[in-house]
Amino acid sequence: MAIQATAPAPDRDAAGPGPGAPARRAPRRRVDATYYLFLLPAVALFTLAITVPAVMGVVYSFTDSIGFGDTRFIGLTNYAVLFSDPAILGSYGFTVGFALVTVVVVNVVAFLLAIGLASRIPARAALRTVFVLPMVVSGIVIAFVFNFLFSSSLPRLASALGIEALETSVLANADLAWTAIVLVTAWQAIPSALLVYTAGIVSIPGEVYEAASIDGASGWRRLRSITLPLLAGYVLINLVIGFKNFLNAYDVIVGLTDGGPGTATRSVAMTIFAGFSGGDYAYQMANATIFFLIALALALVQLRLTRGKVAV
Amino acid sequence: MPARTPSPPKGLSRRSFLGAGLVGAGLALTGCGSLGRPAEVSFYQSKPEVIGYFDELLARFRDERPGVRVSHDVTSDLSAGFARGAPPDLGCSNYNFEIARFVDHGALSDLGDMPEAGRINPDLLPLVELTASYPGRTSVLPYSLMAAGVLYNRATFAEHGLEAPTTWSELVEVCDALTAAGVTPIYGTFAEPWTIGQGILDYTVGGLVDVTAFFEALQEQGADTGPGSPVSFEKDFREPVERMLTLVGYTNADAAGRGYGDGNLAFARGEAAMYLQGPWALTEIAKTSPDLDVGIFPLPMTDDPADRKVRVNVDLALWVPDVSPRQDGARELVSFLMRPEIIDAYNADNLGFGVTTDAPPVTHPALVELQEYYDGARFYLGPSQLVPESIPVHNYAQAIVTGADPGEVLRTLDADWARLARRS
Repeated sequence: MAIQATAPAPDRDAAGPGPGAPARRAPRRRVDATYYLFLLPAVALFTLAITVPAVMGVVYSFTDSIGFGDTRFIGLTNYAVLFSDPAILGSYGFTVGFALVTVVVVNVVAFLLAIGLASRIPARAALRTVFVLPMVVSGIVIAFVFNFLFSSSLPRLASALGIEALETSVLANADLAWTAIVLVTAWQAIPSALLVYTAGIVSIPGEVYEAASIDGASGWRRLRSITLPLLAGYVLINLVIGFKNFLNAYDVIVGLTDGGPGTATRSVAMTIFAGFSGGDYAYQMANATIFFLIALALALVQLRLTRGKVAV
Repeated sequence: MPARTPSPPKGLSRRSFLGAGLVGAGLALTGCGSLGRPAEVSFYQSKPEVIGYFDELLARFRDERPGVRVSHDVTSDLSAGFARGAPPDLGCSNYNFEIARFVDHGALSDLGDMPEAGRINPDLLPLVELTASYPGRTSVLPYSLMAAGVLYNRATFAEHGLEAPTTWSELVEVCDALTAAGVTPIYGTFAEPWTIGQGILDYTVGGLVDVTAFFEALQEQGADTGPGSPVSFEKDFREPVERMLTLVGYTNADAAGRGYGDGNLAFARGEAAMYLQGPWALTEIAKTSPDLDVGIFPLPMTDDPADRKVRVNVDLALWVPDVSPRQDGARELVSFLMRPEIIDAYNADNLGFGVTTDAPPVTHPALVELQEYYDGARFYLGPSQLVPESIPVHNYAQAIVTGADPGEVLRTLDADWARLARRS
């Protein structure tokens, strides 16, 4: 996803001739009906599997439905209760805070790694592979493995070394459990950000650096005045997309803390899902609608930013 | 909690899935998944430990009644099934808040006219009603009852000259004696919230509070629940929760980071003398230590031994959805499953207590101590099971045992209850 966004597709590609088609310049060109045929399955599936259920969900949010049986329209009651529900507000607070911290951690680390891997260090291809590995492992698996590390291995190691603060599982500490979630999420998310930065660095022409060296610019100076400004677009993309993804945090949290201790690490996605299995369907649909609007706003911001900064 | 994988039930095609979407879009195409097929009764039963057991029962049923086709559905998501009007024809599931919704909304048919309904132990009916009810209907038939208390290692107790405590003071003495002897008295698995809710929280509350009366009053009170209301979590749960914290003081130091699997393993290895889990843990413990001598006693919460009660839950109950087009086949299967030789064998084989008046007493060596409580109806439903799922009561219990202010958590619980009542 992140990669696609960095390669802006000019509009003409969408309606233009496919590869191999001769580029005859006809003054008026009708789009061949076949193209619409190609689009049809995707549009139909998207409409049936995403759009229709989403619209139904919004309708349900104005009812007291539990998913079946008698249903009454209750207007905005769900929304009114939503904004005074400390559990919901708490989940938004946690999720936004978590997403902000994680996006910073991920991007700082990924950026530094990308710079490091772009230099001529030995075995960098092997290192790059190692760094990208976490991306291909499923989040829930990672979470369960780290759960074991945090609850069993780390405390055992800490008591062997006599570090008292780490002897109890960090996941059991309501004030610190979020740090573990940030760590694991970052560990998994860094590779994709790293790939975007690597692509960005590769795209900077070597001549620019050459010219800078001839002018006597130091390594730090080159980083600050060439690499950083030329990567600004990539940073923005990574920040916005990363933030949007981290707002949806679900699997890693389920595997690590299941929202605990207490309700300290319940994310918005978790409260929404709990509503479906817990018979709070319409209420959590209202929550999902609000959440959708937030994601939509972020997507618009992302579109604006990518249009302005990256498309040259 | 066991993870459920939502996937379409066997026998339902993609057509019926799309059908659900189209119905919502205003096109009435319900039930197209079943058109043009011979009637097949789908039997939903997803308790992982007994899937094989029920497969064998269904095979027996097929032999007896070749005319009725049955399939075993172990994966359906019930909410989704009811939502699209195509639930299984017969369900045999844990009687909890998930099923309660279907009962309360009249989605289950009345089984009251079946002769099997008359065999159910009348002591259980108030419990069934308290969880959920629909006027004039017998929506579910209990099938298996689980009675839970404190699992204790009889060998460890004997080694230190201790006996199962019958009063709160004795319990504290036992804990002190074990601690003095260097034995962890109670094994806590607080990393998994449900183990706290169903264990230490339910036992302490159930032993001190009249659970049925409390929840009836609470349901009556609804949105008025809060500070100053006649009953409230803050007021009525305060003492049990404080005692719960006393017991937490006797758990293993790393309880906050341990889960259900760790607990079964540790208790099986004799790392702690007591373990607050239901009989379902016995099977897991036996995997590690098949010969461990385990007993069960109800957690004593007062200084009168006569006050001891066990926590029970209806582990399996049979129900037939109202919308099922195959009521006759489903009911036939109900009658088959309810035959004394089948239901009694099931309960004997799976650590359950019989739910019918003609059921024999339990024979499992760990469970025999609980028979007298069951016979005398000295039992209560787990309070954590009576709080709707949308209130994360297990997480709240976890917050309390890991150091949150109990008063504040209980006030949150009251506020959640009132808020839920206001919008439903």
